[in-house]
Amino acid sequence: MTIRLTLNGEEREFAAPPMTPLIDVLRDDCHLTGAKPVCREGFCGACMVLVDGIPTVSCLTPIALVEGGKVETVEGLTSADTPPPVQAALEAHDAVQCGMCFPGMVVSLTHLTQPGECDASRAAIKAGLTGHVCRCTGYERIVDAALAVMEGRQ
Amino acid sequence: MSPLSSPAIIVPETLADALASLAELGADGTPLAGGTWIMRAPLRDEPMAHAYVALGRIAELRRIKISAKRVEIGASATHAMLAAALERCDDLAALRNAAAQSANPAIRHAATVGGNLCARRFPAPDLATALLGLDASVEVADAAGSERLTMEAFLAARGALGPGRIVTKVIVERTGHRSAHSRLPLRKAGDYPVAIVSVAVRLDDADRIVEARIAVGSVEGVPRRWTALEEALAGQPIAAVDVAAIARPRADRFTGRDGVEAPGWYRVHVLPVLVGRAFAALTSAAT
Ligand SMILES: Cc1cc2nc3c(=O)[nH]c(=O)nc-3n(C[C@@H](O)[C@@H](O)[C@H](O)COP(=O)(O)OP(=O)(O)OC[C@H]3O[C@@H](n4cnc5c(N)ncnc54)[C@H](O)[C@@H]3O)c2cc1C
Ligand code: FES
Repeated sequence: MTIRLTLNGEEREFAAPPMTPLIDVLRDDCHLTGAKPVCREGFCGACMVLVDGIPTVSCLTPIALVEGGKVETVEGLTSADTPPPVQAALEAHDAVQCGMCFPGMVVSLTHLTQPGECDASRAAIKAGLTGHVCRCTGYERIVDAALAVMEGRQ
Repeated sequence: MSPLSSPAIIVPETLADALASLAELGADGTPLAGGTWIMRAPLRDEPMAHAYVALGRIAELRRIKISAKRVEIGASATHAMLAAALERCDDLAALRNAAAQSANPAIRHAATVGGNLCARRFPAPDLATALLGLDASVEVADAAGSERLTMEAFLAARGALGPGRIVTKVIVERTGHRSAHSRLPLRKAGDYPVAIVSVAVRLDDADRIVEARIAVGSVEGVPRRWTALEEALAGQPIAAVDVAAIARPRADRFTGRDGVEAPGWYRVHVLPVLVGRAFAALTSAAT
């Protein structure tokens, strides 16, 4: 089956069996290895990408269901010179540890920190990050960084 | 090539086309909704189907219609859509909270009502348990026509819908009940609930319980009503009744299933506390 989609702003076309998980096409065909297949069960968030702007677990998304859609991976969430606010805040708060969960965290935080998406409170940010497991258990500094972005003080 | 890669997929735009494709495929065809259950088939050692018919592009299956009398929920509505649509329906708080609290945000955006009702051998469906408490009915259709089943009859036959048949919508009558949904995941959120209690209660003018419907999920293989407790609560004044105390000697009506996250006895043991919490949530909503 030929699948057409916009990947990180570029129109792309793939030939893939329709039930192939999106994560496998991203990593094996596109060599975008930011999203990681860790649990393949929807529980850990390491494979998170944006599909039409919504955080989506790419391990459970058959490629056929994103036909015609817009997919953004962590590799697409960059800017030419300065890092975007989420990445800058994570660095400033020394929140990055082993890196396994981080691409997924950045994807969901990019969505959560859009105006109107999430209250600027620790409880709301934690609820919004449910489904992201950090094996280094560095959650509090991730929440600090998210709050800083939401309050415009990173 | 992974074992997931071989099945074919059909993506119809209308319900009639979907039903025609499923009729043609017969036992080889399976509906595909959000895929959050189907995509994990290999992890459960289950085979993938030969062909999937995706339901996500059929507009009428995604519709949620709300009136003063009833709510009709298209089978392809996601948990996130349902939670948002019911924002002002406090009588259906059980269903709203079931939709808003299950799984995690990304799964709630993908997983559908139809998938929750039809995932075979899934013992912990939040929506199905809430819909059982709310005495919902389920519309099932095939190329020849449609029929309505009570939630109870639907759950009894779950997994045996038969080839070519799909759930098209769920109908909840708004009958003046108050409702609440109480669940116990092992962590605060994000994992499957050890036990679920979803209640719908109608009171008389003196705030006595006229009818209590109490649905229990995740404890046994399929959600079911706790009729012994329902009967014991009828006629009791809601403000004074100690629901957990009445529930305790009646918990042995359930035989808990053992699972990796909890042994069977524990699932039964927490039921009185969970039903107590559900009733406390009801009482506070009423004031
Ligand atoms: C990380 C994670 C956490 C979860 N936590 C919870 C939780 O807390 N509570 C909970 O209830 N669930 C939970 N789930 C289970 C979740 O997969 C189901 O609840 C979900 O609703 C399935 O819907 P789906 O649209 O993804 O179904 P699919 O995977 O697309 O389909 C599931 C089954 O239903 C059938 N089907 C789908 N739609 C129809 C239809 N309209 N008619 C007939 N058959 C149909 C399919 O053929 C398939 O057999 C969780 C899942 C994950 C991955
Ligand atoms: S790999 Fe997709 S959620 Fe864990």
